[in-house]
Amino acid sequence: MILLQSPSRFLLQILQDRVLSGDKGVDIDCHTVEFDDVRYHIQFSMRNPKVMVLSVALPLPPPEAMLYDGLPLGAIEAIKAAYGPVVQILDPPKDGFDLTMKINLTKLPPDEEQRNAVLTQIASVREVVLGAPLKLLLKHLASKTVAPNVDKLVALVHRPNESFFVAPQADKVTLVYPMRFQDSIDIVLATSFLQEFVEARRTSALNNAPSCLWSPVPPLELKGVPSDALNANAVVFPRHVEGKKLDKTVWSLLTFHAYVSYHVKCSEGFMHTRMRRRVETLIQALDRAKSDAEKLKKLVNGGSFKRLSLKNDGN
Amino acid sequence: MDAASRPAVVIDNGTGYTKMGFAGNVEPCFITPTVVAVNDTFAGQTRANTTKGNWMAQHSAGVMADLDFFIGEDALARSRSSNTYNLSYPIHNGQVENWDTMERFWQQCIFNYLRCDPEDHYFLLTESPLTPPETREYTGEIMFETFNVPGLYIACQPVLALAAGYTTTKCEMTGVVVDVGDGATHIVPVADGYVIGSSIRSIPITGKDVTQFIQQLLKERGEHIPPEESFDVARRVKEMYCYTCSDIVKEFNKHDREPNKYIKHWSGIKPKTGAKYTCDIGYERFLGPEIFFHPEIYNNDFTTPLHVVIDKCIQSSPIDTRRALYKVCVIKMPSYDSKYHSGSEFHFIGQNIVLSGGSTMFKDFHRRLQRDLKKIVDARVLASNARLGGDAKAQPIEVNVVSHPIQRYAVWFGGSVLASTAEFYEACHTKAEYEEYGASICRTNPVFKGMY
Repeated sequence: MILLQSPSRFLLQILQDRVLSGDKGVDIDCHTVEFDDVRYHIQFSMRNPKVMVLSVALPLPPPEAMLYDGLPLGAIEAIKAAYGPVVQILDPPKDGFDLTMKINLTKLPPDEEQRNAVLTQIASVREVVLGAPLKLLLKHLASKTVAPNVDKLVALVHRPNESFFVAPQADKVTLVYPMRFQDSIDIVLATSFLQEFVEARRTSALNNAPSCLWSPVPPLELKGVPSDALNANAVVFPRHVEGKKLDKTVWSLLTFHAYVSYHVKCSEGFMHTRMRRRVETLIQALDRAKSDAEKLKKLVNGGSFKRLSLKNDGN
Repeated sequence: MDAASRPAVVIDNGTGYTKMGFAGNVEPCFITPTVVAVNDTFAGQTRANTTKGNWMAQHSAGVMADLDFFIGEDALARSRSSNTYNLSYPIHNGQVENWDTMERFWQQCIFNYLRCDPEDHYFLLTESPLTPPETREYTGEIMFETFNVPGLYIACQPVLALAAGYTTTKCEMTGVVVDVGDGATHIVPVADGYVIGSSIRSIPITGKDVTQFIQQLLKERGEHIPPEESFDVARRVKEMYCYTCSDIVKEFNKHDREPNKYIKHWSGIKPKTGAKYTCDIGYERFLGPEIFFHPEIYNNDFTTPLHVVIDKCIQSSPIDTRRALYKVCVIKMPSYDSKYHSGSEFHFIGQNIVLSGGSTMFKDFHRRLQRDLKKIVDARVLASNARLGGDAKAQPIEVNVVSHPIQRYAVWFGGSVLASTAEFYEACHTKAEYEEYGASICRTNPVFKGMY
């Protein structure tokens, strides 16, 4: 509820339905759009009911982010490592998309638990592709080295025409998120959300969490990059990327912006709930203040329905 | 990239189920019960006893409780397994009753199910034809204020049901929609995409009444069904064995002549003792749906048959639309209404819900309706011809009753078709308009005709 889940619910649902449904196939041709403008196009054909063609379009990259053949660094290798023989990458990708994969459902492992794990992994294709370069950097952090031939400041795309910045060092990685909100209310809420975020980090229970800061001016690392937004910083240490924690850390860092905007929307909703409750109590107070005569008046003259009966007719 | 270049989000909030997805798709991405499980433990407490020390703790607990809720199937599962959650059904008889939970429901639909950023998409929502404009205003307020949607269009469900017919029959947006719903049955005439509000008729006979009638019949015949199960059994009987007959007397004869062929058996297990029981299912197979055509066999308060009400409805519409209205009469009978949803309880049979069973009762429903309606119309034409005495002959009137193959989400599909046209983006109320004029712009939504 509080965090955004990594696997796409819709993809997972389609995959699971298809695996369970047996051999009968129906044509499916649908598209969905996720936050940050990641688009999916899902196709099943009648002829090959167990083969899914999945095309993914990534957010439009800003000029400073580096892409290789339209994909982030190391994405192809990451896909191959994550899915193995189940997935085959089609080259060139479908028109308008950055990546097209052929997923062969007959090659899934027979064991149900393993199969579900692979399906979930396929549904998290976004994390695998977009998170690949970040994962690479953080892996080096786990072994306390800096990846060779990497700049001091790496820009990674996470939203259409927006990127966040990673400054890798041997013992820590600093991430900087420039955030731009359109709405003035959103800016205020996001600011206080980030304040709370920093505040919460100070409580004893979260001592080991990555330390974070925010400021309206860009930090020193970003010198030379034009920026006009709220900036949130997070510093990741090797202990955050040990073993299994790596995937989770990558996903959380990758979707930090979406996470903040999700909670900004949530808090607006909860504020409305509070406001509604308040109005209700005020109306109740007003009702109580009405004199008895007023209440009676309303009851008697309430409607135009006059109860007629035979007796009244006679008079 | 502009929001208008992305597909619009179409959400059809029904009393029982919510259908949501992206415009341009054939099927909604998710069909989920319209229900929210809320953790109410902290609802009233935050202000009540504010002793200084634990105020902060209570406050943050209250904030956490805000985020502690579930929707759809998750909500049902949670409420079954623990006592901390209360189920709330935000929509009642097609009208939003609880805006708090409705807002949360939308929030989860958008962020957790569709996983889209509401600022990136235009939205199409639906409403029943009887929704007051204030509700529309409220909806607009939530959508524009909370979710910052770039554009919003609130469409009328029967109009969308007509629009869904585009693919099967090429027609104008004119027709009568017979909406056999959850709490009431509405007959809504639509002319050129405009609902003729003054002619909307409602009748108090619904799928649930069919179930109750079957339950009553079974009880009166003295079948041995445990009382706590009888409603459930009646519902299943309706789904599996009911059908619409053409002539009730003939059907009685058929059953009497060949009981082996027509009488079905139901066997179940008593929940308390675990003992097995069986019962016969006979006349109620065709008597159940018959209450739409002969309501007097069910109750005495309402005795006008469905086809007569439809005829009256069309006769009360503007005279120049009547011929077209007779031509297209769409039955919208959500199959889940009978199948998975009874009262406030949901029933799921396994994970994969396939459309079967529930629709058998309605297989010939539209044929029967068409025949009966035609009878009335023909009689009227004959009478008028006789009155005129042969000088002027009235043209015969075409009567058509159709039912969609995709009953379950016909409204959603209509929304998907309309929202994928270019006109949709022009018909939407935009965020800029909202900021300029306020929520009142949502009171009316311009009609646009889509593809044809």
